[in-house]
Amino acid sequence: MKAHSFRRVLLCTALSLAPWLAQAATADKTIALSNNYAGNAWRQNMLASWDATGKQAVKDGVVAQVDAFTTAENQATEQAAQIQNLILQGYNAIVVDAASPTALNGAIKQACDAGIVVVSFDGTVSEPCAYRISMNFKQSGVAQMDYLAQRFPQGANVLEVRGLAGVSVDELIHSGIVAGAQKYPQLKIVGTVNGNWSQTAAQKAVAGVLPSLPKVDAVVTQGDDGYGTAQAFSAAGRPTPVVIFGNREEELSWWKQQRDAHGYQSFSISSAPSISSLAFWVAQQVLDGKQFPHDLESPAATVTQETLDASLQGLPKGGIVSQPVSVDDLARLKPAATAAN
Amino acid sequence: MSTLRVSFSAKPWLWSFIAAVLIWLATIAFTGGQGAGGLLSSALGFSAFFVIVGLGQLFVITTGPGNIDLSIPANIALCGALGMKLMAGDAGLIAPALLAVLVAGVAIGCFNYGLIRLLRIPPIIATLSASFILQSLAIAYGRSVRIQPPPLFYEFCTGRLLGVPYLALAVSLLTAAMAVVLARTRYGRWVLAIGQNARAAELAGGRVGRIRFATYVLSAVFAALCGVLLAGFSGGASLAMGEEYLLASIAVVVIGGTSVAGGFSNVPGLWGAALFLYLLVSMLNTFGASAGIRLICTGVIIIAVIIAVSARQQGGRR
Repeated sequence: MKAHSFRRVLLCTALSLAPWLAQAATADKTIALSNNYAGNAWRQNMLASWDATGKQAVKDGVVAQVDAFTTAENQATEQAAQIQNLILQGYNAIVVDAASPTALNGAIKQACDAGIVVVSFDGTVSEPCAYRISMNFKQSGVAQMDYLAQRFPQGANVLEVRGLAGVSVDELIHSGIVAGAQKYPQLKIVGTVNGNWSQTAAQKAVAGVLPSLPKVDAVVTQGDDGYGTAQAFSAAGRPTPVVIFGNREEELSWWKQQRDAHGYQSFSISSAPSISSLAFWVAQQVLDGKQFPHDLESPAATVTQETLDASLQGLPKGGIVSQPVSVDDLARLKPAATAAN
Repeated sequence: MSTLRVSFSAKPWLWSFIAAVLIWLATIAFTGGQGAGGLLSSALGFSAFFVIVGLGQLFVITTGPGNIDLSIPANIALCGALGMKLMAGDAGLIAPALLAVLVAGVAIGCFNYGLIRLLRIPPIIATLSASFILQSLAIAYGRSVRIQPPPLFYEFCTGRLLGVPYLALAVSLLTAAMAVVLARTRYGRWVLAIGQNARAAELAGGRVGRIRFATYVLSAVFAALCGVLLAGFSGGASLAMGEEYLLASIAVVVIGGTSVAGGFSNVPGLWGAALFLYLLVSMLNTFGASAGIRLICTGVIIIAVIIAVSARQQGGRR
């Protein structure tokens, strides 16, 4: 009895402190994260962001319970089964980073039919009833070429490091690079390798193709491959080209070190791992009865020569540049052009 | 007798090397000779890692059908992180950290075999489950932090002598030593005997359990060593760095001319196979093939080489 009233007092305090009173309506709601993979730094940062946002939201009495579940095998069938379990457990909303854009649609539809709010992000799903939050990946490819065009007005030889073959994100970023190459004919793509979004794989692929390439002036990347690429160049005894980075702490530290030693200049762009928190707030707001377009575009995080020091400030070892997300940031989400899919 | 066996086993040994050389020639023909040395040098460097894990996997596979170590990728991720964290960028801590990594390798091997023997789980399931535990440990322990290796260790992992990486030299010595272990020592001969017929080996007085135990420990220790060297080579450990070694460790063993059914092994073939795999991807990259074409070609060429190797083996043995 006593504990009950105490909780009520706590709840009331939290609610009165909260600037958004409307959220009281979701105080008894539960939200689960279904995640297909945890084995790299981006996913670790994404999970940490989810965890921090979820814990705070529960503490503030915004929602009742927030959990995260990651499948072991990175397989769509396993994740579909996991989502079915989450439906049976009675979560009010399921937030998904999906192993496949289409293979989970059956399970996603079941969740929607059961009245569950489904929000997919990063690895989005094509089932129309779900919400999709994603960075404009094609634009991030174009932005890399924009930067290089401005750095090399006389033209440059560019090496492209792609991600995992067959994944839609890889295709999207690549289409941006291709569009950039058409826009700036002076930028010549002299080679393409798959770095699989892994520093070691990128290092290996680049080292293999490097001996056969002419002078490389710049490298466009997809994230988590810039540091390995730079290592491959230095191991081959080649001058370091302008490598576009993907916001990883080790990449930015290396960039800073090179800048301090010999004025190295570059550019860095990637999806912010705090997109999981964004997805959390979208789910909570939809539960609260707010309306959103089903396709939303999250902003990309970029680091330039000017913001390098500020971005490294307070970035933990192994971290990725991100911005803390609050419910107020939802106002800045743009509806995405669905043509990209 | 022994000269007879050497001449037979020399055939698959040659096949993978011939394939590697042909691919190398095709690549440099395409580039007009440019970068021939550089390509060979980087191929030797990267192949060294394949060969280290391949050695362990080869011994495991040799002990007979069903024996396989699938915990290698997670082991690499964990031991890479462990090594970098213990070295903490300090040259004075390289030796103790290496020792700790080897001890961790022994522990992982004991754990693998414990699951297989005590709980009677088939090796394929046991080592796969062990890999989940190891990967989780790597995530919890490593926290995805990239700690730079001490400069001295980095120099060793990336340095070259007349274009030949130090690591390739060291791993060549290791390969030679393991070839002698397999062919000449009591342990190695029991490994082969168990792989050919475990029951017969047992009746002949072989301690099948102990030999397999030692073999799983050996594989785990080599994978651990690969993990720390790979972390040194690429300027720090990362969670995903072992991923490609699951299939690669098996591929180099099979393409190198070792029987998947166990009992017949080919240690030098590991080098040919590792060089072949690396040069194949480099060649297709150099030709500018798209990822889809690249994967199809890789598959087709690997199948062709395996057919060639096994046809030779059977012709030789019968």
